[in-house]
Amino acid sequence: MSKIVGIDLGTTNSLVAYVKNGAPVVIRDGSGDALVPSIVSVGEDGTIFVGREAQRRLLTAPARTVYSVKRFMGRGVDDVREDASLWPFTVSGDDGGVVRIGIGGREFTPPEISAFVLRELKRRAEDHFRDEGEFDFEVDRAVITVPAYFNDAQRTATRDAGKLAGLEVLRIVNEPTAASLAYGLGERNRGTIAVYDLGGGTFDISILKVEDGVFQVLATNGDTRLGGDDVDALVTSRVLAEVAASQAGAAEAEIIQAVRKAVIQAKWDLSDADETQIRVDAMPGLPEGYRRRLTRADLEDLIRPLLERTVEPCRQALSDAGLEPKDIDEVVLVGGSTRIPLVRQMVEALFARTPHSDLNPDEVVALGAAVQADIMVSGRREMLLLDVTPLSLGIETMGGVMSKIILRNSTIPASGREMFTTFADSQTAVDVHVLQGERELVVDCRSLARFKLSGIPPMPAGMPRIEVRFQIDANGILSVSARELRTSVEQTIEVKPSYGLTDQEVERMLIESFEHAETDIEARLLIEARNEAETVIHATEKSLRRPDFAELEAEVFVPGERARIDVALAEARQAMRSADRARIQAAAETLNQATRHLAEVVMNRSVREALAGRNVKDV
Amino acid sequence: MTPDPIPVRAPSMLECRNCGAGAPLDEHFCGQCERILALGRHGDYFSFLGVPRRLGLDSQELERRFRDLSRKFHPDYFYNASPAERLASLERSSYLNDAYRTLRNRATRIEHLLAIEGLQSATSDQGGAKVPPALLQEVFAFNEELDEIRELREAGGDEAQLRTRLEAAREPIERKREEHERRIEHLSAQWDRQVDAPPADRKASLEALRELLLERKYIDNLLATIERESARGHS
Repeated sequence: MSKIVGIDLGTTNSLVAYVKNGAPVVIRDGSGDALVPSIVSVGEDGTIFVGREAQRRLLTAPARTVYSVKRFMGRGVDDVREDASLWPFTVSGDDGGVVRIGIGGREFTPPEISAFVLRELKRRAEDHFRDEGEFDFEVDRAVITVPAYFNDAQRTATRDAGKLAGLEVLRIVNEPTAASLAYGLGERNRGTIAVYDLGGGTFDISILKVEDGVFQVLATNGDTRLGGDDVDALVTSRVLAEVAASQAGAAEAEIIQAVRKAVIQAKWDLSDADETQIRVDAMPGLPEGYRRRLTRADLEDLIRPLLERTVEPCRQALSDAGLEPKDIDEVVLVGGSTRIPLVRQMVEALFARTPHSDLNPDEVVALGAAVQADIMVSGRREMLLLDVTPLSLGIETMGGVMSKIILRNSTIPASGREMFTTFADSQTAVDVHVLQGERELVVDCRSLARFKLSGIPPMPAGMPRIEVRFQIDANGILSVSARELRTSVEQTIEVKPSYGLTDQEVERMLIESFEHAETDIEARLLIEARNEAETVIHATEKSLRRPDFAELEAEVFVPGERARIDVALAEARQAMRSADRARIQAAAETLNQATRHLAEVVMNRSVREALAGRNVKDV
Repeated sequence: MTPDPIPVRAPSMLECRNCGAGAPLDEHFCGQCERILALGRHGDYFSFLGVPRRLGLDSQELERRFRDLSRKFHPDYFYNASPAERLASLERSSYLNDAYRTLRNRATRIEHLLAIEGLQSATSDQGGAKVPPALLQEVFAFNEELDEIRELREAGGDEAQLRTRLEAAREPIERKREEHERRIEHLSAQWDRQVDAPPADRKASLEALRELLLERKYIDNLLATIERESARGHS
């Protein structure tokens, strides 16, 4: 039977996991790396690069590369314009419509970009199952996680991305809840848990009650525009300002990305060290490079206001759950940004409790998604997740006021009804505007969709009784149905999503993605060729850097051997800069041949060194 | 915009859409083929959850019933089932969640009891708008005080002093609310004891509860007004 996986589609990194012999495991690549950077790059010839390769291209071809696309899911162009300054890619779209991302002369919607990442994960999982000797290794179904505070449009966009990647999305699960499932596998069987999830781009807090295998979310809150990205952007802007002041270099996309990379490295360093250096090597436009000492205290002063924005959602969630901090039995940290020591301190102060982070905060969400996938296909009922809708759902009423139909933190699935009638005689249609949010006025809420109730039998004004039923499913996604009660006529509803794709658009994109499939296979082969070539180049460089290399060269090299190696290495490096797969493969092979003798010699030496100094009987 | 719903009479039996067997309204699964039953037009949260129609519910028992039924209906377990069963699972789960949310909270529990006992809702639009007679005196005094506080604030009056006055105005209303809590509790217990009492007595208890809920809603609105006013002072 085909395979089913759990996917954490993250802002910065994505992962895929599955349940193996009853326990969830993350699928890694050949080098043991579980993370696929959620980065997509379009090559000069139109090939698509995903993950590490795209991450490398962020430095060399930033204008063709997109990262953090999760922040655009289900959003309109007006929502994101303000943060646009650092992005190397262009962001456009009609007012009140879906965002379009321009890279390398092509335009993509956020679900299409996310679908590239999902396809990469699907392929990684299929490779894994094939290597495991599975007969049917195809992966066609998945549970995908989203931030708990994602609204309907953002969830729908995620589901569309799954569809575009050829996956049946069994369930959209909230990230903090998925994490609690992964934790729940242990001996802890009951209690009240707070999950604090600060990822690359989003923040969630969920309060859960666990009893008898049922994980019931009591309340959730969050901020879908707050995460490690914001920390990076803040520090990067500071550095860029300094650079501009001292070197008058234009803030080219290449420089921005080089600085951003150095800033991220420094941030990571400061999770362990008290002090580090932000280092950018000299590059065109930045002739002197950049060096700056940064202490943990400096960083904390800078980012404290950002991180403090997580406190209010925590208080609100507690209050919605009817709990005080002292009622929380355990606090769990999820998301890479919870490695920041200041985050830990703040959480500890807020809940007066040392937070847990026994499981890898990068992997725990994917593990939980795998558990949920297993629950759904296995039919085992020991565990059950009962989640809530993060935002109230309502409709526009007279005077631009939002009238709530399903309140936030209602357990899902949830349904609500509202009665409508007509204002004019023989009126046959009524317009309905569906909203999500907590504010009183329509303008302060999120517009989800507009639809028209049509086909109402002609009657005097006020006579029709149209019952509209709003159903939020277990994915937190809304569907609407309506019928006229006097005649029992089921009404037609055309829903026009405010910030989403229509079904027809998704269909069209699916067809286009098949048309691009050939290019995508070519892209895959190119990436593999590059990875192989890179391995050979690295091995060669390492040998050349050996302290005893000069000695080796003098003693064992045959005439012309050194020159052959140098030429082959130069050509291999040159070929790596192109997108010509045949050339890269040929260059890698030539380099491999040229260094075969060297590799043997080095290998023999290493073995001798390892054996030297040991007694014969140890061998 | 939103006229009153047309009352729909619930049928007394469900019919299994899979095998056609009949099933009592409060059954969740067909007795013959064991498939999940379509929800139909169920109207009574107490009987749906299988708990007695009482206001003094055991909250732990209620929660246990909710968890047990969630384990039976949840869409997670019907992912491979037929479309009809998937829909039934979705509708039953939604209804269960509504039922649990409603019965868990005392005010909404009373509301639901009033509805299924055939009394008019205490939260419909007519309720809450006009001042309940029992509160006339308090409301009158409070509104006067509030007007004065607002005027003083506009004129730039001392914020600390205004806050003290606002707090003072809150106190009698808080007291009233506590008194209402006790009376609601008392009446609820009384209704629970009247299982075998004449219908007229039972109805009288419910009518009294309805009055109390109306007043309570008004009191809550007053308290919310005070909250808003005091928040305005802080900003």
